[in-house]
Amino acid sequence: MLPHVDYVRAEGVAHALALLDRHGAGARLLAGGTDLLVDLRERRSAPALLVDISELDELAAIRAEDGALHIGAGVTVAALREDATVQAEFPALAEAARWFADYLTRNKATLGGNLANASPGADFLVPLLALDAAVTIAAAAGDRTVPLDQFLLGPRQTALGRGELLREVVLPRSAPAGQAYEKLGLKHGGAIAVVSCAVVMDVRAGRGARVRIVLGAAAPRPFRARAAEERLEGQPLSAERAEQAAALAAGAAQPISDVRGSAEYRRAMVQALVRRGIDAAQAAAVRS
Amino acid sequence: MKDLTASEFAMVGTRAPRRDARDKIHGITRYADDFSLGGMLYAKVVRSTRASARLVRVDTSKAAALPGVRCIMTAADVPHNVLFTDVPGQTTVVGALRARTQVLAADRVRYFGEPIALIAADTEEIAEQARGLVEIEYEDLPGVFDPVEAMHPEAPQLEETGNVISRWRVRQGDVDAGFAAADVIVEHTYQTPFIDHAFIEPEIGVGWLDEDGVITIRVATQVIEHFRDVANVLGLPHSKVRLIAPFIGGGFGGKEDVTVEVYIGLLVWKTGRPVRLLYTREESIITPTKRHPFRMRYKHGVRKDGTITAIEAEFISDAGAYAYLSPLVLLYAMVHSSGPYRCANVKVDGTAVLTNNTPTSAFRGFGSAQPAFGYESQMDACARAISMDPLAFRERNYVCKGESLPCGQPVDHAVLLTETARRAWEALGPSCAAPPGKRLGRGIASTLTSFGRIVWLHDWSAAWVELQMDGTIMVRIGVPDLGGGQASSLVQITAEIFRIPMSSITIHIGDSSLTPLAGTTTATRQLYMSGSAVHKAGMELRAGLLEQASSVLGVPAAALTMDGGAVVQVDGAKRISFQELAASCSRSGRERYRHSVFHAPAGKVMDFETGQGRVFPDLTFGSQAVEVEVDEATGAVRVTKLATCYDVGRVINRNSVEGQMEGGAAMGLGYALTEEDILEQGVPRTPNLMTYLIPTALDVPDITTIVLESGEGSGPWGARGIGEPAMVPTAPAIANAVYDAVGVRLTQLPLTPERVWRAMRDAAP
Repeated sequence: MLPHVDYVRAEGVAHALALLDRHGAGARLLAGGTDLLVDLRERRSAPALLVDISELDELAAIRAEDGALHIGAGVTVAALREDATVQAEFPALAEAARWFADYLTRNKATLGGNLANASPGADFLVPLLALDAAVTIAAAAGDRTVPLDQFLLGPRQTALGRGELLREVVLPRSAPAGQAYEKLGLKHGGAIAVVSCAVVMDVRAGRGARVRIVLGAAAPRPFRARAAEERLEGQPLSAERAEQAAALAAGAAQPISDVRGSAEYRRAMVQALVRRGIDAAQAAAVRS
Repeated sequence: MKDLTASEFAMVGTRAPRRDARDKIHGITRYADDFSLGGMLYAKVVRSTRASARLVRVDTSKAAALPGVRCIMTAADVPHNVLFTDVPGQTTVVGALRARTQVLAADRVRYFGEPIALIAADTEEIAEQARGLVEIEYEDLPGVFDPVEAMHPEAPQLEETGNVISRWRVRQGDVDAGFAAADVIVEHTYQTPFIDHAFIEPEIGVGWLDEDGVITIRVATQVIEHFRDVANVLGLPHSKVRLIAPFIGGGFGGKEDVTVEVYIGLLVWKTGRPVRLLYTREESIITPTKRHPFRMRYKHGVRKDGTITAIEAEFISDAGAYAYLSPLVLLYAMVHSSGPYRCANVKVDGTAVLTNNTPTSAFRGFGSAQPAFGYESQMDACARAISMDPLAFRERNYVCKGESLPCGQPVDHAVLLTETARRAWEALGPSCAAPPGKRLGRGIASTLTSFGRIVWLHDWSAAWVELQMDGTIMVRIGVPDLGGGQASSLVQITAEIFRIPMSSITIHIGDSSLTPLAGTTTATRQLYMSGSAVHKAGMELRAGLLEQASSVLGVPAAALTMDGGAVVQVDGAKRISFQELAASCSRSGRERYRHSVFHAPAGKVMDFETGQGRVFPDLTFGSQAVEVEVDEATGAVRVTKLATCYDVGRVINRNSVEGQMEGGAAMGLGYALTEEDILEQGVPRTPNLMTYLIPTALDVPDITTIVLESGEGSGPWGARGIGEPAMVPTAPAIANAVYDAVGVRLTQLPLTPERVWRAMRDAAP
């Protein structure tokens, strides 16, 4: 049962910011609501006011500008999944959207909500970290842009301060052509990741370049497996080296045991998924 | 009386649209929760947060002081604080214990979530708030969470009579001699999990006091006969409680035992006001009942020529904290233990044991699903052990019509298992190459499931069929419709008998006071029992109306038939409409209605020492074949093809039969791959649909349904039950396919990626 909570539909970002400013910690932003409403029902969150930003067109646009793709925080997963630029230039992101939750949830859930909720298994943090994404944070004092890695402070913790909202995600359009996203769930529809990974790389003269390997649900927050990246960066690529990188990624994981799987299994799956991701990203890079 | 024959059928076997379909699709159907009354109170149940504890203090004063709280009840307020599930034919102390559950915990809680108090308040919010104000002081008691440990004499005891609540046995021939005659012995121990019914509609009801002081409860139940249980708890005459079952959003056995109706009854009785109680999804998952986990040791002896020389099995069933129907579920498991196979030497022992886990009871397949995972895995392993094709090995051993199962259960009707297995297998089509990193495998399972209640329980169902003055037909019968189309099939049977459109028939169902009692919608019995009751009443009324028409028209009854809402002369011009016929009946004093009771054939109680005898009226047989794709790196299993083939005796509604077969396979797929209620020290760890994983449309492949009609079965026109049988073969078929794909035998359900991965890793050289 949902608790009683006051509700205001924001007329614009400025209005939303003013409401956040006025109501302080008692206000929460409502976008898709697919995480927030569950939290309310479970009494994990007890805001006094919901500020609905789900109808704001200014947050729901995807536009190319200054060599970057700006994806509004209010873009739904379904819209992200269907965007031609995302599909063409950021296939790892499109793939994450493809396997996100289920049809109904994808129609409501937003990219910004997934990032701001910052769950250890948040699907979009994984490809976006691998794509060197930044986020723009709106505040009454003006916007600021921070790298996604710095936005993400820990499990369910972000750099969003009081009175701020996530405006958009900024993706440099010079992303490597080799991209892969791998997710292991316990079923095909509506699954939460047991582990996931994104691998992004170029291949230059048979060597890895601009390699990013990011792991999800393998630690308190998604993170780059740098030792694994270094094993491929500037190095001649081979099956043996891919397996070594995958093993290094597994070694960097700090998985937990829960109802979805043991730590031992998760670590082994990191290795399996990263290996699969490297092979797929490498093949895509070579094809391009 | 001459029955209609298959060649004459106009309605039976067609895809007639279900009469409830339109309203359900349009969202018009009023389920139990789509109903409210002025002044209605909202109820909540206060539950134990311990799995095993003594209640030191239950203080409701703060909760009672909350404005808007109208009533709080604890065990002391319940007139007769006990619910019985009668378990006839028990062989052990359970007979004296009976299956006994406290309505509200009096001084001890035995499982996490056990009800302790009831609250009724002006709003749901207030009731919820009040629930948090009830102060409960516990003294933890040692608990036992594993049925094998619970069998140990030193284990904490849930009842003074001990934790073992039921033992059954089957004895035929000499298993030692059988194993001595075997070339190969195959032995494995199998385990199945707690699972949840996960119906769309959780437990829900609304009750009120009517003008005559009758406590009336409109409730999602499979059993309107629970009016007696509610009355017994309240100490009222049975006629002072009435249960109404509207259309139900799924039962699967989870609404077979008493759920919310007794709490609603108590609060209505106490307050005199209407009361609504709806469980949340979390409550639905953590409260009784679940499917029994079984631990099953199976030992098969086989000769190289494919003869099964001996079967030995030992079942241990986790009954949870209260018996409920556990002894009966175990008895069913005994009868089904050998599968649909003949074997001269069989020895099976079963034990049901109390633990401090969530109580277990009825679940689609009622004791036939767990053994099927064991015996069909064994059949596959035996075939491979003697290098025989798994289909050929089964065909050699299928029981035949006229024979008996090893427990003495006679097989009266056609057994088309060879055809079901071949047709299902062929439906998988040609094999393709596996994608990189994946392996494909195929598996099959053939199973049997009884339908109809145990023959010594003297089952019956009553129906009222009436010709209205306007020439339409009305049926009244106390059937709860769970969503399987129970009511619609009865209308279709009626339409066949009177040769009128289904739209000219009205049916009233599911009212314990106003519709003739038809028994429970459980045991896959409604088409069999209530179909037969409607058939009987309908055919008797038909004969009477033909006689009346005969006297009016001056034509022998044998030369008359029914067509288009009239009695017509065969090859002749004379006719009388149903409307005229109804008036004629009234004038001449002939009854325009029939109230008929169908009694299932009764039988003697089985022999408890040997387990020999007839237990069930009839059996349904079928096979499923699947293809799976196993991920070599992750162990993830995807079902790529699934074919299901049953002999249903006679199709009444083809859509409904196929719907049951598809739904059963989807449910079986969940049992095989994802569904498990995980309990840690009795505490549910998967209390929502994010962690308790039921298949979605993306997880279920297109299912090929193949329906055979032998024309032989105990239901109307030879129909057999299909509701429960439809889910039974899926899990073993999938496990056998996984073996075929990767060469490891998984013995524990569900086959999670991690379990498959571990098995592959452990088997690697």
